Amino acid sequence: MKEKLEEIEEVVNEIEVDIIKLQNLFSNYLKQHLKGLIIENYIGEYPTFMEPVILGEKVKIGDDVLIGPYVYIGENSEIGNYAELSNTIIFDNVRVGDNIKLDNCIIAKDCKLNFSNSNIKNCILKGIANSEKEVLKIYF
Amino acid sequence: MPNRKEKEITRIQELESINLAREEVRDLVVQTKKEVEKDNELLASQINQELRKNNIKSVDVVGAIGSGKTAILEKIVEILSSKYRILVICGDITTRVDADRIESHNAETIQINTGRECALNAYHIYQIIKNKDLKDYDLIFIENVGNLICPSDFILGTDKRITIVSITEGEWVIEKHPMLFKMSQIAVINKIDLAERLGTNVEKMIDDAKKINPNIEVITTSAKTGENITKLIEKLEL
Repeated sequence: MKEKLEEIEEVVNEIEVDIIKLQNLFSNYLKQHLKGLIIENYIGEYPTFMEPVILGEKVKIGDDVLIGPYVYIGENSEIGNYAELSNTIIFDNVRVGDNIKLDNCIIAKDCKLNFSNSNIKNCILKGIANSEKEVLKIYF
Repeated sequence: MPNRKEKEITRIQELESINLAREEVRDLVVQTKKEVEKDNELLASQINQELRKNNIKSVDVVGAIGSGKTAILEKIVEILSSKYRILVICGDITTRVDADRIESHNAETIQINTGRECALNAYHIYQIIKNKDLKDYDLIFIENVGNLICPSDFILGTDKRITIVSITEGEWVIEKHPMLFKMSQIAVINKIDLAERLGTNVEKMIDDAKKINPNIEVITTSAKTGENITKLIEKLEL
């Protein structure tokens, strides 16, 4: 499973992202490899999880968050209050602001979504952004 | 003494100001509640349409904590899994204990951990079925979070709802929780194997269910011995 994630991360980090290759890897990972409920080590107050959900170490989750189905969150990432995540891979050290809804997204390592109240679908998100306009979005 | 009185007056004034704040947002609270209920109902009817379109029969199993919801589902799945392709969605505050138990009887399971929510709602189920190929299933059972109160606020769009209680909860349990029995098609009184030892008035429980909902089917079962499980399956009209 780790290798599959590394493969996806490699494609995401390319300057010219091969969208078709990424789409195949992404849907294959979500539907074939992401299974069960591995949520032991998160920091937060009982969010809702709909499996499959896999959380890395020290993931910080805010209040009233809905996670799943088909969500992977890498270590040290932080999810804001009222966020809703489905069909999404979030790599390590990411920050997702309050009340952000993500569906069918990949969030690159170290990406910071330092804004609130947004509904984002079907894309890769990269960079450090203090508003939605600033974030680099590559649509599938 | 006057100091105490002054403190009490300040306390009352503070309380009154809180009430005034509540009055201000009262309309908003009422409006939001209505919208949440409407949303849930719309989603539930969408779920039901989707399931019917794919010829899937669906059952929502609600009941008290420890009444035997999982044990009964284990028995049902054990009997039906050779004939039907079954998906069981299990709702719990936390853990995957119930899903693991049911999965050992050859059904696919999905666990929802609701965290701080006391019932599953239609949005949870919608999110699950939206992401599934419904052609892969004939039957969907939903095991709701264990309690006899909150699930009455959220219909899930299933064909039938079963409410399970057990005789260890006392003979007043049905009388004291009428809402779920009003909106269920089948009432199950489980752990009937203990009736003699506990001396619970099972007839009263059956009468209470019928009084609350004259159309409800009442079945006494024992998940432990398997008593009346096939009868319950018949009532599901699969």
